[in-house]
This record gives sequence, C-alpha cells and structure tokens, in this order.
Amino acid sequence: MQVFMDKLARLFALLGGAVLAVLIVMICLSIFGRSLNSVLNSDLLQSTIPNLADWILAFGVGPINGDFELVEAGIAFAVFAFLPICHLRGGHACVDIFTKNLTPRYDRFLRMMTEFIFATVLVIIAYQLFLGMISKYGSGQTSFLLQFPIWWGYALSLIGAVVTAVVGVYIAAVRMTEFMTGTDVLPQDTGADQ
Amino acid sequence: MTDITIGLLSFPALLTLIFLRVPIGLAMLVTGMVGLIIVTGDANLPFARLKAETYSTFSNYSLSIIPMFLLMGHFATLGGMSQALFQAASSFLGHKRGGVAMAAVGACAGFGAICGSSLATAATMGRVALPELRRYGYSGGFSTATLAAGGTLGILIPPSIVLVIYAILTEQNIAKLFLAAFIPGVLAAVGYMIVISIYVRMNPTSAGTRPRETYPQRLKALMAVWPVLLVFSAVVGGIYLGWFTPTEGAAVGAFGTGFIAWRAGGLTRTSLADSFYGTARTSAMIFFIVLGAAFYNGFLALTQLPQEAAAWVGSSGFNPWSVLIIILVFYLLLGCLMDSLSMILLTIPIFWPVVQELDFAFVSMVDLQSARLFDLVASGKNLPSGLLAEAQDMLASGQELSRDVTRDLGLRGVSEGVLNRINIERTAIWFGILVLIVVEVGLITPPVGMNLFVINAMDRKTPMVDTYRAILYFVASDLLRVAVLVAFPAITLILISW
Repeated sequence: MQVFMDKLARLFALLGGAVLAVLIVMICLSIFGRSLNSVLNSDLLQSTIPNLADWILAFGVGPINGDFELVEAGIAFAVFAFLPICHLRGGHACVDIFTKNLTPRYDRFLRMMTEFIFATVLVIIAYQLFLGMISKYGSGQTSFLLQFPIWWGYALSLIGAVVTAVVGVYIAAVRMTEFMTGTDVLPQDTGADQ
Repeated sequence: MTDITIGLLSFPALLTLIFLRVPIGLAMLVTGMVGLIIVTGDANLPFARLKAETYSTFSNYSLSIIPMFLLMGHFATLGGMSQALFQAASSFLGHKRGGVAMAAVGACAGFGAICGSSLATAATMGRVALPELRRYGYSGGFSTATLAAGGTLGILIPPSIVLVIYAILTEQNIAKLFLAAFIPGVLAAVGYMIVISIYVRMNPTSAGTRPRETYPQRLKALMAVWPVLLVFSAVVGGIYLGWFTPTEGAAVGAFGTGFIAWRAGGLTRTSLADSFYGTARTSAMIFFIVLGAAFYNGFLALTQLPQEAAAWVGSSGFNPWSVLIIILVFYLLLGCLMDSLSMILLTIPIFWPVVQELDFAFVSMVDLQSARLFDLVASGKNLPSGLLAEAQDMLASGQELSRDVTRDLGLRGVSEGVLNRINIERTAIWFGILVLIVVEVGLITPPVGMNLFVINAMDRKTPMVDTYRAILYFVASDLLRVAVLVAFPAITLILISW
C-alpha cells in the first residue's frame, strides 16, 4: 500500500512538473513571438525590408493567443497534482516546538486527530471542486480568448484533488493504526524544503 | 458576541491549533471556515465558497510565479552555478583571514540572485561550501552559522518568493519591491562579511586560509559565473523594464537555468525528476498555506477586525515609529517559532491596513510639486516666466503652491490624493522590506531556525550548540541592519521612482 501510494504521488508530481515545464516553454515562445512581432513591425525594418518583414508576419508571428488562460488552467492542474507528494511525505509547514516532549502515546493521538481533520478537509475540497465543476458545466461559461469551457480546467484539477483526498484518507488510516497498535508505520514529518 | 469579538477570539484558537502541530495552512483553513459559519450563521457558506475558491486560488496567474521560481532554483543547482559562484568568490577572497567564509557569503548572495528561497540557497551552498570550509580549518559551528546566515540572502536578494506573496497581499508592484530589496540585500551580504572578519579576529583558531590564486586563475573562475549574471539581469531587469510580467520573468529564468543545466550535463532523467519532486513538495506546501490564509483572512475581513484595528490605531494618535517598531519586534519573536511565509500570510492582512494608516511623511506636497514642476520645465513647455520664477522661489523656501498657481502653470498630478497614494506605496515598499528582513531573522534564530537545522544536518560532527553560539553574531548584524533601515528609509526607497 505504502509503495503504491508513493508511486501514485510521484507519478502526479511528475505530471504536474511536466505541465509546469510545458507552460514555461509556452510562455517563453509567447514572449519570443511578441518581441519578434514588435521588431518586425518596427519603423526600422518596415522602412528597410518591408516585404520580408510582412512576409514573416504573415505566418502569424506574435504572442501565443490566450497564453494567460492556459497558464491559469495549467498551474491549477499542477498544484493539485503536487499536493499528494507533499502530503504523503509530511511536507506541510507546521510548528513542532511545543509538541516535542509529548509521550509517544499522546504524540500518536495528536497525529491521528490532525490527519483525521486533514483527510476530512481534503475530501471536502475534492467534493466541492466536483460540485464547482458541475455548476461550471451547467453554466457553459468559457474562457475569454480561447473560448474553452471553464469546466475543463476544473475537471483536470479534480483528478489531482481526488488523488490528494485518497492519500489523505490513507495517511489518516495509517496514523489511526499507529495509535491503536502503538507502532510507527510511516516516517514522521520530514519538514519542508522551502 | 459581536463579530469583532469573534475575530479576536479566533487568534488564540488559531494559535492553539498551530502550536499543536496542526499544519499551518490547515489550521487557518479550519479556523476560517468555523469562523465564517459563526459570523454568518450559515453552515453552508464555507462549503459553497470552496466550490470555486480552491480552483481560483490555485489558478491565480500571479501565484504561478512560485513553482517557476522554485524550479529555477533547482535547475540553477543542477547547472553547477553554486559551485562556480563559490569558486569565483573564493579565488578572490580565500587567501584572506576568514576569506573562505566570506566567499561562501558572497556566493550565497550570487545564488540568491537566481533563487527565490532561503532554505534552497542554504542547502545548495551548504553542499558546496561546507566541505571546503572544513578543509581549510574553519571551526564547525562557525562554518554552519556562516552558511545558515548566508542562506537568508536567497530571499533578501531578488527574486524572492516571500516578496511575491507580500506584493500580492498588499497589491503592490512586484518589480518595485524587487528593486527596493536590492540595496538592503547587498548591505546584508556586506554586514555578514564584516561579522566574519570580526569573528575570526576574536577567535583566531576558528579559521584558516587557502593559498592565494593568481589573476589569470581568478579571471577564469570569474568567467564561469556569466550564466548567473545573464539570468539575473534577464529576469529582474526584464521584469523591471516592463518587458514581461513577473510570471513571464520567472518562466524565462526557469527556461534559462534549465538550458544552462542541460548544457552543463546536469540535467539527467533522475535529476529532472528530483527537481520536479522538490518543486512539487514546496509548491504544494506554499499553495496550501495560501488557500488557508485566503479563508482565514476572508473571515477576518468579514468581522471588520482589520478595518477597526486600523481605524483605532489611526485615530489614537500613536507615534507611527513606535507602532512600526512594536510590529517588527512582534515579527522577530514570532519568527522564532514559525516559518516566514506562514507569518506573512497570517499577519500582513491585519498589519498592513494598520501600517497604511501611519503617516511617515516620506514625500511632502512641496516635494511632489517640485518634482512635477521640474518635469514640466524639462519637458520644454512654454511657461509664463514670471509665475515660474515665483513658484520656484516658493518651493525652494518650503512653501506649498496654491491651487491657483498650479492651475495657471498647468501643473498636473499634485492633488492630495496623488500625494497620499505615493506615500502609501512608499510605506508599503519600505515596510515590506523591513518585514522581509525580520522574518528572515527567524530562519536563523534558535530554537527553530530552519536554516540552522538544514545546515547542521549536513555536518554531523558539529553540535547544534556550537552553531547557535556562532549564529548570534550574524543575528546581531541583522538587527543592526534593521535599525539602520528603519532610521533611514531612503536606503530602501532610493531606487524607487514615483
């Protein structure tokens, strides 16, 4: 189970990373197109080599249409896909100075309660995102420039949100087992590398 | 129970949760949701808000800068830039007493210019510089303290993730904040180097030297640093000059460092995957805190607490400087317990409305009118010469121009509203930089300075106590710098035009 969850979390981290990388390249291309467009339209080139400049411009050299919208939808997917690995490896920021000297039993109890709340919240988030997607689907709202339906973005993000909720429930179950049996199954918080 | 009381009661509730090791983002989210239910009496409201709010928070265009900057930091490490920076700095400074430690600080500053986070800078430079410091006879605690302190430069010197968050919370211009952070960041590096030179004179056995390098060797080492300079100027320069948005700048930076890492052969399948894992973990952590903060602050805004607090401080006639100093001390104390980003997200929505009410009078009406008149004259517009001379005399003697005079001269943009806006912007920038520094001090103060842990974990032989003892010198330099920046706002604001 541990191995499966770890693989799942890593797979999604990679998917999110790949989308992030694609967005980065897209933004750079968009900037390049935009700069090239303004250079080709500049007075200097328009007066010296107007034909060549216009010929290149005719290929549609310019910023990528709707890059802004794609970044927004893509980043949302990436962040949701990033959540499982953070959650699984105890990467969330917390203050542990006041709980350092707890006895193992209380410590496990606290961990169990926290993870129980966390799992509940993550399930609620995924479910509400699903409801949000349904309402965007119903309203038929589309993005401004590319006119793609907003619910697509929600649907993509929902995958990550569901995986996060699954990981959250898994962790809560593990912490409960740990409390019940008094043994450690998963490593504790490894701290965040901010 | 009034809404304000509920708002006030939420602080101890939230802090209790946080101190019980509940992840900070979750604690804020839960407190915010419960608070919303109590204030509105509508149990469905927080859930209804979740329908769109998680998505809209995670798909925020301005926030998308964060994973990009994080990835950029990973690529910079893979490209061997930390190594190159340290070699270059070391070839110039290494033969001096304490020189290798100074070089480590210099390299941290350089790495900070392409990396937006403090722990990443500390960790990266630690891997490169710690073995070298130990090899040349630097004592354990002094070495680890130097690198932990040097790591904070990662966040001071732009680009900086914490500043991005601050800019979004206070609705300020990211480019201006980056620019304002530059001089304080350089001052920090210089301050740390001075600390090192004092420390090695007080403890002569704590440091050795390495052989002096020749100029050709130094030049060669310096040449290896050019990618860092290129990336830094492209990203920060490009954002500042308005070539691209901060998010686009981050994308250019990530692409550039990625390209350099690939050329240097550092970008293998495994290392790329590790960069993604690292970026994923930290991004998810940050976004979850941002989500929690959005809920908590939405609740606080509904209770009117921030507005009431601001109105109260504004009308009570407190000395603005005292209020500022109290806030900064509060951050220093809280910083001993909490990470910088959580602190900023938790407190700025309350403190910023308060600070906004304080009048530090950076720019007076006379200053504004003088500047506008100067621009007008410089624009070569034909002005009634008698009136112009009269106006210039008045301004030179510190007298405001009357409305009639400004109208006859055609002087625009000199209303009270404009003046107010300029002063608020300057307060925001100055306050942001001060807060940035004091929260960073939290990273190197015992008991929970994250940088100390990260670096200390790399050198098992050095007891934590030794690191603590040596870090106090660096903390002292930080506090001194904050005092100087508070006393002379111009140091921070000089690069910012209005």
